Amino acid sequence: MRNVGAVEGERVNPIKGRFQSTTAHVSGLSLLFISAGMLLSAVVEYLDGTAGNALLLATLATAVGGIALWWTTRPGALDHASIFTAVGGTWVAASVVGALPYLLAGTFAVAGRPWTVVVADALFESISGYTATGSTVFGGHNRIVDQGSGILLYRQLTQWAGGMGIVVLVVTVLPSLRASGLGLIDAEAPGMGVDRLAPRVRDTAIRFWRLYLGLTVLIAVGFLVAGMGPFDAVAHALTTASTGGFSTQDLSIGYWNSVAVESVLIVALILAAANFTLHSRSWSQKRITHFGDHEFRGFLSILAICTLVVSTLLTLDGMAPGRALRIGLFNVVTLGTSGGFGNATGAGSDGDWVRWAGGPQMVLLFLLVFGGCTGSTAGGVKVMRLRVGMAHAYRTLRGFRHPRALLPVRQGDSTVPDTIVSRVAGFMVVYGILVVGGTVLVAALGTDLVTAVSGVIGSLGNMGPVLGEAGPTASFVDGFSTPARLVLAVLMLVGRLEIFPMLLMLVAPYRSLRGAGRQGRY
Amino acid sequence: MFSVLATASGLVDLLGSGDDTVLLVTLGGLVGLVSSIGYTRIRPAGRIRDADVLGGVTLCLLLLVLMVGALHLLIGTTGSVVDALTDATAGLTTTALGAVTPDLADHGGRFLRAGSQWIGGLGALMVAVAVLPFFGAEREFADRSRVHGRKPMAPNQRTAVRNILYVHGGVSLGTWAGYTLAGLGVFDALLVAMATASTGGMVDGDPFTDPVVQWVAVVGMAVTGTSLVVLWRLVVGRSRGLFRSIELRSYLGLLVVGTGLLLLWTDGSGPDGIRRAAFTVTAALTTTGFPSAPAGTWAAAAPVLLLGLVSIGPMTGSTGGGLQILRHRALLQIALREMVRQLHPSVVSKVRLGGRVVSELTLARIVVIQFLVVSVLFATATVVASLGLDLATALGVAVHAISTGGPVRALDGSLLDPTDWSAPVRLAILPAMVIGRLSIYPAMVAASSAISVVRHRTRLGRRIRAFRRRTG
Repeated sequence: MRNVGAVEGERVNPIKGRFQSTTAHVSGLSLLFISAGMLLSAVVEYLDGTAGNALLLATLATAVGGIALWWTTRPGALDHASIFTAVGGTWVAASVVGALPYLLAGTFAVAGRPWTVVVADALFESISGYTATGSTVFGGHNRIVDQGSGILLYRQLTQWAGGMGIVVLVVTVLPSLRASGLGLIDAEAPGMGVDRLAPRVRDTAIRFWRLYLGLTVLIAVGFLVAGMGPFDAVAHALTTASTGGFSTQDLSIGYWNSVAVESVLIVALILAAANFTLHSRSWSQKRITHFGDHEFRGFLSILAICTLVVSTLLTLDGMAPGRALRIGLFNVVTLGTSGGFGNATGAGSDGDWVRWAGGPQMVLLFLLVFGGCTGSTAGGVKVMRLRVGMAHAYRTLRGFRHPRALLPVRQGDSTVPDTIVSRVAGFMVVYGILVVGGTVLVAALGTDLVTAVSGVIGSLGNMGPVLGEAGPTASFVDGFSTPARLVLAVLMLVGRLEIFPMLLMLVAPYRSLRGAGRQGRY
Repeated sequence: MFSVLATASGLVDLLGSGDDTVLLVTLGGLVGLVSSIGYTRIRPAGRIRDADVLGGVTLCLLLLVLMVGALHLLIGTTGSVVDALTDATAGLTTTALGAVTPDLADHGGRFLRAGSQWIGGLGALMVAVAVLPFFGAEREFADRSRVHGRKPMAPNQRTAVRNILYVHGGVSLGTWAGYTLAGLGVFDALLVAMATASTGGMVDGDPFTDPVVQWVAVVGMAVTGTSLVVLWRLVVGRSRGLFRSIELRSYLGLLVVGTGLLLLWTDGSGPDGIRRAAFTVTAALTTTGFPSAPAGTWAAAAPVLLLGLVSIGPMTGSTGGGLQILRHRALLQIALREMVRQLHPSVVSKVRLGGRVVSELTLARIVVIQFLVVSVLFATATVVASLGLDLATALGVAVHAISTGGPVRALDGSLLDPTDWSAPVRLAILPAMVIGRLSIYPAMVAASSAISVVRHRTRLGRRIRAFRRRTG
C-alpha cells in the first residue's frame, strides 16, 4: 500500500505545495462543519433578537482555522496508528475549538470565578457536547434558561454532530480517503466494527447520516405533536437522536412534566440506541427487522427487567405504583440508552434519582455501565460485549466439566470468532483499569466514593448526570472540583472513541519524531 | 478438620468455666469417627475431573460453615441462626464481617471463632497452592519445578499439603510469640495470632491499643500477605534472587505507597501517624481487616484508597483475598497487549509473568475471573442495597465480601458495625464471601454444575428448544 507509514507532516509533493497529513486535513474539514453549526446558531440568535458578536466571531475563527488546515494539507493512506491519530486529533481539535463560543460569549464567566475555571468549564461543556455525554456545568449559579437561543442551539448541535461522529461526516465529502475512510469510521464508530451499508465507504457514511437526519426529523415531529414548542422540539430532537441529553431547560424533560413528551422520548431513545444497520435494513426491506437481532432483543430485555426492578423497589419505598412505573421506565431508558435526560420536576422530587433508596440507584449504576447496542449513537460498554463476555465466562466454566470439548462462543445461531472474543476481553480489561484508576484519581481530587465511581463510569459511557452529588438536578460544579472535571472530560473523549484511539493517538507522532530523530533532522 | 476444631475448642474451654467441654469433645469425637469410617469405606471415582475436585472443595466449605454455625448455636455463642451462620461463614472465609460479640469468659467459643479463621486461612492456602494450580486455572504458577536445583514447594499435592502446614504453622507460632512478647496475654495472643496468620481479622475487643502490639500486627499481616512460595524459599534458605520477583516488589511497594497516601489524606503525622497508617493499610491490602478507628478527619479519597487496596489484595498464594497482585499484573499485561494488537492486529504476542510465558487458556481464565468478580460484586451490592443499605455502604460491603476483607467503612472513614445491618443483608453477603474465599472458580464451577444437573433432570434445555420450534 502506497504511503503506508508515511511520516505525518512530511512534505512529499512540493509541486502541489501541500503537506500530507490526514490528521490536519480531516481536522480542518471537521472545523468547517463545526463553523457551519456555529453560523446557524448565530443566525438563530439574530432572528431571536438577542444577537451578540460572540457566535459570529467564533464562526469566523473556526472557519479560518479549518480552511487553513484543510487547504494546506492533503490526505494519504493510513496505517492503524495514523488512523488513531487522525480520529483522536480531530476530536481534540473539535472539542477545543468548540469551547470558543462559550468563552467569547462569557457563558461561564460568573462573577468571582478565576479565568482558569471559566476556560475549564467551557472546555468541559464543549467536550460533553461533542461526545454526546450530557454532563453539564450549568446549574443554580448559572442557569441554562438565562442563555440566549444561539448558545442553546449551538450546545444542542454539538451533541448532534458528535452523536453520529464528526469523522463520519467528513468521510461523506472526502472521496480521496478511499479505503482509509472505513478505518476512520471504524475507529470512531461505537461498537465492535462498522457494517458496510454500501459497497463504497463514502456511500456508507452518507447512508448513516441520512438515517440519522431522518430519525432526528421524526423525533422533532414527535415532540411537536406531544406539545413542545418548535425551538424546543428541534433542540431536543438533536440531543435525543444523538443520545446526548442536553436540554434547553434546567429541569430537562421534567420541565414539561408530560407523559406524552416522555413517551416520545422513550421510543426515540430506544431507536437511537439501536444498531443503525437495523434501521437501514428495515428501510430497505420495508419491514421491521429489529426483533430478529439478538443484541436488540437482549437490549430490550435488560431495559424491561431493570424497569420492573426499579419500579417495584420504588413502589415498595412508598411511591404510587403508576407513578413508580412512569418514573422507573423513563429513568431506566434514559440511562440505559446513555441519554441522560431527567424527568425530575425539582430537586428532591420523585424523578431525582439521587434521593432514591440504594437498590434502584444500584440498578442505575449497572445501566451506566452497559449502554446501548453496537453501531448506535449510545455510549457504554454495549450489550453485545456484555453478551459475548457472559458467553465467554459460561464457556470457561463449562470447560472445567468438559476439559477436552471444543466449546465455541455463540450468539444466536452464529459462532463468535475467538479473535473477537479476545478483543472483547481486552476491551473489558482496559475498561476496568480505566474505571478503577479514574475513580481513585477523581476521589483524590476531593470527590466522595459514589460520585467518583458513578462520575467515571458515566463519563466513560457518555451518560450525562450520574449518582451522588452530580444527579439530574445538580451541576457537575457541585459534585466535582475543577481538576476532577477535567479528568472526567478526558474520560468522555476516551469513552466516546471506545478507548483505544484516544489512548494510542500519540503513537504515530511519537514514531514520526523518533524516525526523524534517527535521520538526524532534530 | 471440624473434629479437631471442636475437640480443641472443648479442651480450651477448660481454661474457663468448662461448661461446653463435654458437648464439644463429644461432637468432635463423633464427627471424627464418622469421617474416619467414611474415608475408609468410600472409594473415590476412577476418573476425577477438574470440576469434581473444585465442586468438592466448595461442598467441603459449605458443610464446614453449616457445622461450625451449628456449634455456635449449641454452645450458646449466639441464639440467632442468622448470626451463627454469618459468624461461621465470616470465620471460615476469613472475612472480618462477623456478627457475634462473644463473652470474654467463654474460652471455648472464642477459640472456636479464632480456630475457624485459622482453618479458613489454611483452606485458602490449600486452594491457592495445592488445588487451583493442579485442577483449575493458573497451572503455570505452581511451584513444582526444580529450577536451578532449588527445592520446589509443591512438586506434588501430598508434599504441597505438608509444606503448607509447616509454613502456615510456623507463621502462626511466630506471630503468637511476637504478640506474647509485646505484652498480650498468652491466650489472647494465641487468638489474635490465629486471626493474623489467617488474615481473618475477627478479634474480641480492641487488642491493638498498645503501639508495640500494633507493630507486631503490621509485621505479622505483611508476612501472611506474602506468597507462601516466597516464605518457603526463605525457610529452605534459597532466598537468592527473591527480591527480583515483580509481584513481591509490587506488594511491598503498595504497602509503602498506600501508607504514604493514607498519611497524606488523614490528619496523622509523626511516628504515631505512620504506625496507624501502616496498620490500616496493611490490614486493608492483606484483607485481614483488623479494626482501626480513624484519628481526625479523613479526606474523601482515603476510604476509596482502602477500598481499592482491599480489592487488589496481597500476593497470590497467600491467605489473603481479593483478586491478588499476580492476577492484576496479568490483567495489566493483557491490557498492554490489546493496545499493541490495535496497532498491529496480526502480531503474535505472548504474556510473560515471573519469567514464564502464560498460556492463552490461563489468560482467558484470569479475564473471566475479573468478569465474574465484577458480576458477583454488582449482584451482591444490588441485593443488599435493595434490602436497605445506602449505595456507598452497599458497594463497600460487596467489595469487602468478595475480597474477604473487612471492616466496611463509611464515607468519613468511620467503621460500620455489621450487627447494625438487618438479618437479610447479612445473609445476602454470605455467598459473596464463599465465592471470594474460594478464588471464584471452585464456587462458580460448583454452581454451574448444579445448574447443569437441574437442567438435565428437568430437561429444561429440551423443553426450551421444543418451545422455540413451536413458536418458530
